[in-house]
Amino acid sequence: MNPIVRRELVELLRTRGALAAQIALAAACILLVLVRWPTGGVSDLNGARSMQVLRVFGYGLLAGILFLVPAYPASAIVRERVRGTLALLLNSPMSATSIYLGKLGGILGFAALLLTMTLPAAGACYALGGVPVSGGIGLLYAILGLAVLQLATLGLLVSSRADSVDTSLRLTYSLVLAVAVLPLVPYALFEGKAGGLGELVSWIRCLSPIPAVLEVIGQSGRGAHGMDAGTDVIGRYAILALGTSWVCAMATIARLSSAPLDRSRPAGVMTDDLSIGTRAARRMFFLVDPNRRSRNISLIVNPVMAKEFRTRRFGRSHWTLRLIALSALLSLALSCIAAAGALEWGHEEIAGGLVILQTILLLLFAPSLSAGLISSEREGGSWQLLRTTPLSAGTILRGKLASAIFPLLLLLCATMPGYLVMIAIDPQLSPQAQRVAVCLVVMALFAVLVGAAASSLFRSTASATVAAYLVLVGICVAPLLAWLGRDAPFGRGTVESVLSISPLAAALHASQTRGFAEYELLPVNWWVMGAMCLGLIVLLVVRTRRLYRPE
Amino acid sequence: MGTAVVEINGLSKKYGSFLALDELTLSVERGQILGFIGPNGAGKTTTIKILVGLARPTAGTATVAGIDCVSQARRVKRLIGYMPDTFGSYDNMRVREYLDFFGAAFRIPRKERVRRIDEVLEVAGASTFKDLFVEGLSHGMRQRVAIARTLLHDPVALIMDEPANGLDPPARIEMRRLLVDLADRGKTLIVTSHILPELARVCHRIAILAKGKLRAYGTMEEIARQLNPQRTMEVLLARREDVARAVEIVQRKLEPGTDVTASTTEAAVRFRTALAEEELSRILAELVAAGASVTQFREVQTDLEAAFMTVAGGESSTATSEANG
Repeated sequence: MNPIVRRELVELLRTRGALAAQIALAAACILLVLVRWPTGGVSDLNGARSMQVLRVFGYGLLAGILFLVPAYPASAIVRERVRGTLALLLNSPMSATSIYLGKLGGILGFAALLLTMTLPAAGACYALGGVPVSGGIGLLYAILGLAVLQLATLGLLVSSRADSVDTSLRLTYSLVLAVAVLPLVPYALFEGKAGGLGELVSWIRCLSPIPAVLEVIGQSGRGAHGMDAGTDVIGRYAILALGTSWVCAMATIARLSSAPLDRSRPAGVMTDDLSIGTRAARRMFFLVDPNRRSRNISLIVNPVMAKEFRTRRFGRSHWTLRLIALSALLSLALSCIAAAGALEWGHEEIAGGLVILQTILLLLFAPSLSAGLISSEREGGSWQLLRTTPLSAGTILRGKLASAIFPLLLLLCATMPGYLVMIAIDPQLSPQAQRVAVCLVVMALFAVLVGAAASSLFRSTASATVAAYLVLVGICVAPLLAWLGRDAPFGRGTVESVLSISPLAAALHASQTRGFAEYELLPVNWWVMGAMCLGLIVLLVVRTRRLYRPE
Repeated sequence: MGTAVVEINGLSKKYGSFLALDELTLSVERGQILGFIGPNGAGKTTTIKILVGLARPTAGTATVAGIDCVSQARRVKRLIGYMPDTFGSYDNMRVREYLDFFGAAFRIPRKERVRRIDEVLEVAGASTFKDLFVEGLSHGMRQRVAIARTLLHDPVALIMDEPANGLDPPARIEMRRLLVDLADRGKTLIVTSHILPELARVCHRIAILAKGKLRAYGTMEEIARQLNPQRTMEVLLARREDVARAVEIVQRKLEPGTDVTASTTEAAVRFRTALAEEELSRILAELVAAGASVTQFREVQTDLEAAFMTVAGGESSTATSEANG
C-alpha cells in the first residue's frame, strides 16, 4: 500500500474538523429522513415522500461535497511545502506519480468515509419506497463519487502551484464555484438554440455536477424553463469529469516532477528605478503599481490599516481595483442587455441576477480579506511585535476591520450601477433597490465579522478561512436547500422560518425575485443579522483583548 | 557607579502550580550589556516577556528608566526595543515599508521617520537591502532588519532574544561589534544567547538562571568565584625533569586529598585549591627555592561555558535524583 495514503488518512481522521464534518453530514441526513418518516401508521404507496426526501437529500449531499471536500486537496501539497516536508518526500525513492496517487488516495478515502456516513440515511430513504437502488440512490452516489474525483484533482493542482495554504484554499473554492456554476450560465443564456452553439453550451453545462445530480433526483427541468434538454447529461458529465480529472492529475504530476522547490527569492525591483516607458506601461496596467516606492504612512491614518492594504496577498490595491472595475462592468452590462431587450427578463430576474452576483463576490471576497486578520499575525510571529508597540488592542482591531470593510463597500458600490439603470428605467423600483442595498450591506458586514471572528479563534489562517467559508455558506446558502424542498417535503412556515436567517434569501425577497417574493423575510432577517453581528462583535472584542493582554 | 536603567526586584511568575520565575532581583546600568543565560525553561523568556509587557508577574516589580513595566506598560513600550527570537515578517512588504509601519506604530512623525529609517539601517548595516521584500531576506539579513526595527524609536534599553542565532561566523563577529557599539552609544542591553563565548566577549555582566532562580550574577570573574570558590592553578616548567619535584612540593603545601595532576609532555602541574593569594605565593617561593625551573605560575580562567555547565550540570543531576527518588 502506498505509505502516503495511510499517512494522509490517519492525519485527516485525527483532526477535529474531519470528525465534525462526518458527524455534521450524518446528522443532517438523518434529520432530513426523520422529518419525512411516516407517522401514525400511514404508508406512502406511490413513493412521493421518498422522492421528496431524495431530492433534498441529493441537494444536501452535493452541497456537502462542494463545500467540505475541496478544503482537503487544497491544502494537501502546499502544506507539505510550507512545513518543509515536501522536500523530504521528493528526496525519497517515491516517484512524483506515487506521491500524487498517495495524496489523491487519502482524499478519496476520506470522501468515501464521508459518503458512507450518509448511507444509513440513504437506506432509510430507500426503505420509504419508490426510489430504486440502481437508477436512483446508486446513481446519485456514483455521480457524487465522480464529483469528488473532479474536485480533488482540481484542488491538488492548485495546491501544487500555490505558495501558501490560505491562497490555495481561496483559489480552490473560487474554482470549485466556477466549475459548479459558470458552465450553467451559457446554457441559461442560449437554451433552446439549435445547431453547433446549442450543442456546445449543452456540453459546457455538463462540466458541472449540478445538472447530473438534478437529473437523478428528477429535477432536470428546474431552471430550464420547461425545456428539458433531452440529452444524456449523466453520461456527458461522466466523460467530462473523468477528462478534466485526468488533465488536472497530469498537470499536477508534471509540476511535482519538475523541481517544484526550485524558486529564487524575489529580487525586489522597484518601478521607480525602471525606465520612463516601463513605468508608464506598468501604471497603465496596474493603476496602483504594487512595486512603486510607497509613501510613508501618515500619522492621521491607522497604521495597521495601511499595513494591511500593503501586505496581504489577496486584496492588495491593484487587484481590488480590477475586481471593482470588473464588477461595475458586469453589473452595467447585465442591466443594459436586459434594458435593450436582448433578454426577455423582467426587472425581478435582473435584480435577482445582480443579487446573486454580489453575494458570490461577497462570499468569496470577504473571508479572504478577513479570515487572516489576526491568525496570520499569530502564525508569522508578528502579533507579539504588535503587542510590544504602543498600539492598543482597539486600534489594532479597528485598523484591521477597516482594511476589510472598505474594499467590500467599494465592491458593493461598484455593483450598484445596475440598480441605478433599473431605477432610471422605472423610478418605482427605488424603495426595492434601497432594501436590497441594506440587505447586501448587512451581508457584507456579517461576512467580514465571521471571517474576523474565525481569525481570532484559530491559530492558522487556513483553518480560519475554511471555518469562515463554512459558516457563511451555512448561514447564507444552506437555508436555500429548504427553499428547494418548498411545498414538499417542507411546508411554507418551515421554509419561511429557515429563509429568514439567510441574508441572501432576504436580498432576493427584497428584489422581488420569483419564488422569494411571497415569503415575509424582512425585517425579521435584519433583526436576526443584527443580533448575529452584535454577537460576533462582542466575541471579536473579547478574543482580541484576550490575545493582546499580558499573559 | 552608573544609573540603573533596568531594575528587577523580587520578580516571580507562576503558571498554575509551575513556578517559572522565583524572586529574581538584578539591575542593569546605562551603557551596560547584561548576558542572560540558562538552560531551556530557566525563566529567561518569562523575564523578558514581563519587561516588554507581554506577561504580568505574580509578584515583584520591574522598572525601565524608573517606569513600572506592569502599571505603565504603554509608556515602557516606548523605552524598550524588543527583538524576539522570531522575526515576525509580513508578506509583500519591503524592508523600508516594514520599518515605516513600526515607526508609524510608535507615532514617529513622518519626516523624522524617513531620517530614522535611513539612520537605523545604516547602524544595522542593512542600507543595501531596504528595497528588498522582507520574506525574501536570508536569516542574517533578517537579524539586521530586526535590529534596525528595535532601534527605530530610539529606546533606552534593548532586549534581544538570541540575536546571534543562525548567523554565520562573520555575521556573528559583526553582531558582536554592533552590540558593543550600541552600548558605547549609551544603550542598555539585555541579551540572551546559547552561544556562550559570544556573550562572554561582549557582556559587562552575566546573569545565570536555572529553574527560575538566579544562580549567579556579576562580572565573569565574580561568577567564577560564586559558582566555584576553588580555582585551578597551573605551574609551567622549563624542564620536564622538574615535574616530579614540583608535584611533591605542591602536594606537601596543599590540603590533604587535593588532586594534583602532572603532564610531563607539557612540563606542567595543575591543581585546584581554595588557598588565598598569600599561601599561593609561599608555594611559588618554595618551588623557586627548590630550584624548579618555573616559567609561569598562574590561575586558569573559568570560562562562561564552564560556569554554565556547573549550573546546568547541577540542575540535571538534581532533576535525575528527583526523578529517581
